[in-house]
Amino acid sequence: MSFLTRANCLAKNVILSTFVRSISTTKHLQLKELHERKEGSTLIVEGVTVPSPHTELLIRAEKIKDLAPVEKTEHTCYMCALDLDVKHTDVLILSQFVRTDGCMLPRRITGLCRRQQKKVGKMVSMAQKAGLMINLTPSYCKKDPRQRYAYKKFNTYFDENTIFMKKIPKPVDKFKR
Amino acid sequence: MSAAKRVQQWATFARTWHIFDCKWQDPYLSANVIKKYLMGMHKPIYHPMNDCGDVVVCINSRDIALRGDDWRQRAYFHHTGYPGGASWTLAWEVHNKDPTMIIKKAVYRSMKGNLQRRHTMQRMLIYPGEEVPEDIMQNVTNQIRQLRPVPTRLDHIPEDEVKKYPKVMEYPEDYVLK
Ligand SMILES: [Zn+2]
Repeated sequence: MSFLTRANCLAKNVILSTFVRSISTTKHLQLKELHERKEGSTLIVEGVTVPSPHTELLIRAEKIKDLAPVEKTEHTCYMCALDLDVKHTDVLILSQFVRTDGCMLPRRITGLCRRQQKKVGKMVSMAQKAGLMINLTPSYCKKDPRQRYAYKKFNTYFDENTIFMKKIPKPVDKFKR
Repeated sequence: MSAAKRVQQWATFARTWHIFDCKWQDPYLSANVIKKYLMGMHKPIYHPMNDCGDVVVCINSRDIALRGDDWRQRAYFHHTGYPGGASWTLAWEVHNKDPTMIIKKAVYRSMKGNLQRRHTMQRMLIYPGEEVPEDIMQNVTNQIRQLRPVPTRLDHIPEDEVKKYPKVMEYPEDYVLK
């Protein structure tokens, strides 16, 4: 059945030349890096295939023997399986989940579950507000937390317990009935 | 009395000078620790009527850290005494004016309001930066442990160490690096 639909698709591609869709049975896409270079007056932008910088040092719970095997394997992602206690000051871990401009990567790229994506995303913004990942910021950033505006220039720390709190209690709330 | 006992006697009744580095410390949490040294509550001979408090030198009070959005949520109240003389100043505005005031007020507030409190506060010395006068620094014999570890910035870690650090996330195969 699937073969038939694929054949139909290919036939469509032949007839309608405007709608081009390439179908391949093997992986032809690879991790790429965009390079810009100038030759004379022409600007050449090319995607260069690069090996992933993370592959050799990758840590997975399946490979660690001391970790107890998790029963419900279908509901856990790799961060839940590792069971790490990550704080917002652990910039060496959090910097793996961001682009070079300090923006959190979406879930289809990080491959986390919903809860972990929310948690890591909040901790990335905590680290950015505390000025701990100042080299992973947009190019227009001043790159110095002390140059920031008003209250943002002073040191701030965060409590990770507030991430999944529905309502963060204010100091005056304890006097209310 | 043996020599060791005699030294113990001197050490009990002498005023010890402690130093506390406020870098990345919450002033309201560290006030509870500083208070104990100022009042002498860490000594077994402590009594409210007993003048056994120590001296605490606080350095780097400019680099204190407040939790969450406290810099713009916390307000300091002052009243001049005249009608309409009330004013509320936010924590970051106070810290802009005087970088030693927040830690000073935090320690003052943590102690019970009695006649002794003003005299106990006189034994606390606060400096906004690293520089402490030489005649004060030569008295210091003890360091109070910090409550929170000072976080390391990513750009202060050497680049090859960042690359060598074990990785958790792996890019999908068709990702374009940005
Ligand atoms: Zn998960």
